[in-house]
Amino acid sequence: MKRKRSGSRLPFFFRLPDQSIFRKALARRENADAASEFEELYQLRLARDGRRAALGWRRRQLVHLWIRLAGEALRRKLFERNRPARPTAQSAGETMSNILTDLRLSLRALLRAPLFSLTVLLTVGLGIGGSTAVFSVVNSVLLQPLPYSQPEELVKIYTASPPSRWPFSVADYLALEEQQTSFDRVAAYNYGGMFLESGDEVERVSAMPLTWAYPELLGLQPLVGRVFEAGDGRVGAEATALISHGFWMRKMGGDPAALGRPIRLNDRAYTVIGVLPSQMGPLEHSREVFPILQFDTPSRKGPFFLHIVGRLGEDVDAAAAAAELRAINRRIFPIWESSYPDERASWGMQDLREAVVGEVGRPLAVALGAVAFVLLIASVNAANLLLARVVRQRRALAVRAALGATRFRLARQLITESGLLGMAGGILGIAVAAGLLRLVEVFGADYIPRLQEVGLQGPSWGFAVVVTAASSLLFGLVPALEGSRPGLERDLGSQGRANTEGARPRRLRKALVALEFAVAVPLLVGAGLMLASFSNLAAVDPGFRTENILTVGVEFRMSRYPRMSDVRAFWDEALPRLAALPGVGAAGLANGRPPNQYPMSNNFNLLDRPTPPTESQPAVPWVAINPEYFQVLGVPLLQGRMLRETAEDADIEVMVDNTWARRFYPGEDPLGRRFTSGGCDGPECSRLVVVGVVGDVKYAGLGDSSQGTVYTLQRLNPTNWTYLFARTERDPDLVLPSIREVLRARDAQLPLFSVSTIDDLMAENLQSPLHASALAGALAVVALLLAATGIYGVMAYFVQQRTAEIGIRIALGGQPSSVLWMVVGQGMRLALWGLAIGMPAAFLLSPLLSGLLFEIAATDLLTYASVALGLTAVALFACLIPGLRASAVDPVKALQSD
Amino acid sequence: MSRRQLGEFEHRILLSILRLGGESYSVPIVLELEERTGREVAAAAVFIVLRRLEEKGLLRSRLEKPRDARTGRVRRYFKLQPAALRQLRESRRVLMRLWENVETVLDEA
Repeated sequence: MKRKRSGSRLPFFFRLPDQSIFRKALARRENADAASEFEELYQLRLARDGRRAALGWRRRQLVHLWIRLAGEALRRKLFERNRPARPTAQSAGETMSNILTDLRLSLRALLRAPLFSLTVLLTVGLGIGGSTAVFSVVNSVLLQPLPYSQPEELVKIYTASPPSRWPFSVADYLALEEQQTSFDRVAAYNYGGMFLESGDEVERVSAMPLTWAYPELLGLQPLVGRVFEAGDGRVGAEATALISHGFWMRKMGGDPAALGRPIRLNDRAYTVIGVLPSQMGPLEHSREVFPILQFDTPSRKGPFFLHIVGRLGEDVDAAAAAAELRAINRRIFPIWESSYPDERASWGMQDLREAVVGEVGRPLAVALGAVAFVLLIASVNAANLLLARVVRQRRALAVRAALGATRFRLARQLITESGLLGMAGGILGIAVAAGLLRLVEVFGADYIPRLQEVGLQGPSWGFAVVVTAASSLLFGLVPALEGSRPGLERDLGSQGRANTEGARPRRLRKALVALEFAVAVPLLVGAGLMLASFSNLAAVDPGFRTENILTVGVEFRMSRYPRMSDVRAFWDEALPRLAALPGVGAAGLANGRPPNQYPMSNNFNLLDRPTPPTESQPAVPWVAINPEYFQVLGVPLLQGRMLRETAEDADIEVMVDNTWARRFYPGEDPLGRRFTSGGCDGPECSRLVVVGVVGDVKYAGLGDSSQGTVYTLQRLNPTNWTYLFARTERDPDLVLPSIREVLRARDAQLPLFSVSTIDDLMAENLQSPLHASALAGALAVVALLLAATGIYGVMAYFVQQRTAEIGIRIALGGQPSSVLWMVVGQGMRLALWGLAIGMPAAFLLSPLLSGLLFEIAATDLLTYASVALGLTAVALFACLIPGLRASAVDPVKALQSD
Repeated sequence: MSRRQLGEFEHRILLSILRLGGESYSVPIVLELEERTGREVAAAAVFIVLRRLEEKGLLRSRLEKPRDARTGRVRRYFKLQPAALRQLRESRRVLMRLWENVETVLDEA
C-alpha cells in the first residue's frame, strides 16, 4: 500500500507531535477525502466559534479518532490473526491459487525428505492395497448378489439330518416337484465328469446334468439357440444338451451351425440346442456341457445325488415354504420306509448365496478384519512419523506463525502434505490391490467360490477412496493440529531447545506407539493360532506312506463293458502286467482316494446291537478295493486276514479300519461281527462279515476326524470306474507312460482321468490352510515390524533430544547402565501398555477364529504366552539400540554440541 | 446481505442525508446532526458509519472533483439508495406502532 501523504503534506488539522497512527489510517486511499473534510469542518468552526473553541473541538475530535483507530488496530490484532479465513471472503480464484501454493510447497517439502516420504508412502500404500484387495474379494463373494435374475428369491433345498446335509434322490425330487406349492419352480442338477467321444478320441469333460427347468429358473439366457423346455425333460424325448461358450469355441470353432448337431456323452447322443454365454454364475462356472436329466419313476429311494434349487413364489414366506418341505418329506416317508427307515432326516432350505459362499464367509471376514488392523497400524505409524517431522519443523512453523500465518493456514499446509502422501499411497494401494487380486486368482481358485466375479469394480474403488481418505485424515490430522497449535511463537523465544519435543506431542507419540502394539497383539495371536493349526494339520498321519504313489482314474463305458465280468476280465489281465512293469512295486485298485475322496457313505445296522428304528443308523465311508491296495499304500493289517472272494450265498466279507473297530466294538474283538447295509434289514438282504482290521486311512480330508471306514472287495461288484494305485520305485512321472501303455494295450480308447501322485493330492489338501496361515503370518509380521519401528522411532528420538541431559547425568557420575535402563524402561512401558490392552482384545476376538482352527483352541495359552514373550522381546530389542546409544554418550561432546 | 436493523447512529445519519435532500457529503451531515441533536458529534464516527452504510448498500458514494482548484478539496458525496428508504420506512412503521398509545403515558409521567 502506497503512502499517499508524507507527514509534511498532512493538513494542519493533523499536524501533531505523534502522527503515526493518523498517518497510518489516512494512508489508505479511501480515507483521503476524510482528511480534507476534517480540515473543512475545522475551518467552519474556526470561522463560526472562534479559534479557541475550534481548537478545543479539534482536540476532542482527535482524541475520539485516536480511540477509534487504536480500537480498530487492537481488534485486528486480536481477532484477524487467529481468525480462520472465511472462504466466502475469498474469491474462487484466490482459493485455488492458495491451494496450488500449498501443493507446491508440500511437494517440495516431501521431496526434500525422500526417505521419510517413501517410508510413509510404502506403509500406507501397502495397507490400503491389502485392505482394498481383501475388500474386493469380500465384496464380490459375500456382498454382491448372485448373478442370476432376482437372486434373493433363490434357495437351495437339501436333505438334513443335523449335523449332516446331503442331496436329494430322484424319488425325493419327483415328489417335491409334484407336490410343492411354495415355489415358482424347482430344478435339479448334479456335477460330474462325462466322456465326450469325437471320432476315435475320448475326452473327459466337466458336465452338469440339469433338469429342464434349471435355465429358466435361474434366468439363464442362451447366447445362441434356445434353453430347455418342458418337453425336453420327458422320458423318451430326444436327449438334448446345452454347451458352454468355451466348449462351443474349443470344440466347434464357434460355429452357429453346431446347433442341432449331436454330441456323444457317456455313450449317449445328445442334440446341442443352445450355447450359454461366456459369463456364467457360480453354479455353472467352469462346466462345459449341460445334458438334460430325464427321470423314470424310481424303484427305491436312493441314491442321493441331486442338488436342488428353487425360486420362492411371490409373497411366499420362507418359513411357510420350509414347513411345506418338511410336510412333503413326512408325507412320502412311508412309501420308501422299507428301503430308507431313517425317520430323522428331513428337508431344509437355505439362501442360495449362503449355500454357494459356504464356508469361506468367516475366513474372508476374518481376513478383512486383519488387514484393516494392519492398515490401522500403518496409519498410526505414519501419524507418528509425521508428528515427529512436525516437531522437527517447529521452528520453521513458528517463524511462519510469527510472520502472520494463521493457525488455519499452517494446518492447511500440513494437511496438504499428508493428503498428498495419502493420495499417493492410495494410488500405490490400487496398484498393490490389482497385483494381490491376481495372486488371489491364482492361489485361491480351488477354495474361493465366485472368484471369477472378483475384480476391482465400483465398490472396490469407492472403498479405496474412503480408506485413503480415512487413513489420510487419521495420520494427517494429529500432526496438523499439533503443528499449528497456538503458542508456536513462544518456541522462537526458547532458543536453546527450539527443536525439543514438547510434553504434549511426546505423550501423543507414546500413546500412538502403545496403540500400535495393542493392535498388533490380536494379529500375532491370530497368526500364531493359524500357524499352529496348520502345522497340526500338516503333521496329521494320513495312515500310509505317501511318497511315490501314482494314481490313475479308469472308466469303463457301458457300450464296451456291458457286464461286470468284462471289467473283471480286464483287471485280471492288466493287474499282473502292471505289477511286473519295471519301476513299479505293486498295483492296487480302490474307488476312493486319500486324503479327501470316497465314493459314498453308507449306513449299516449291526446284527448284535441293532439301531432302534427311531434313530439314524451310523454311516461311514465305503470303499471298494482289491487286497493289493493296502500293500501299495503300506497300510498295516492289524487283525484277521485280507478279503477273499466268496460264494454267492455266503456272507460278504468286509474289512474295517481301526477307528471303526474301536468305535463300534471298543475293547472287544471286531472279527466275525455281522451287519446289513444301505437300510436293508430284511432276511433277503445280504449280510456282511468283518474278517480283518487295517490301519486308518483318511478319506474325508486331513482335518476331518475319521468315523471309521468299511472296505469291500471290488472284484465282487466291479464299479464302472476306479482308481489304479501304483507304488513306483522311481519318479512316478517316468513310469506313467508305460502304465498308460499297458492299460491301453487292450482298449485303445480306455478313458483315463485325474492322474496324480498322492503327494500332490496331500499338498493340494493343505493348500488352503497353508495360504490362510501364510497370509495371517505375513500380516502379523508386517504389524510386528511396524510396531517395532514405531517404538524404535520414539525412543531413538527421545535419546537424540535428551543427549545433553544424558551427557550431564553421565558427567555428574551417573552410571551408563542406569541411562540404558531409563531408556529401555520408558520404551518397555509403552510395549507393556500395548500388551495390556491387546491381550484382552485378542481374547475377545478369538472366538471368530475357532471354526478355522484344527486341533488347537482359540484360547490356547501357549500361543498367547508366546506372543506376549515375542512382542516383549522385539520391543526390548527395538529399545536396546537407542538405549545403548544413550549409555555411550560422551558427556563432553554432548554438552558442546548444544 | 445484512437485513439487520439499523443501529441508532446509522439511523440518524440516514435521516440527516434525507433532510439534506437525499445526497450530501460528510460536513453538512455532521453539521445537520449537531444542529438537530444539539450535541457535538465525533466526525470520525460519522466517516466510519458512512462507509459501513455504503458497504451495506444503503448509500452509494462518488467523489466530486474540486470546483475550486485552489482549495483543492475532494468531497465524497453519499446518496441514499432505495434500500435505505425501505429500511427507513420500515423502522418508522415499527417505531410508530410502538409509540401508539404510549405518548400520553410518557407525557403524564
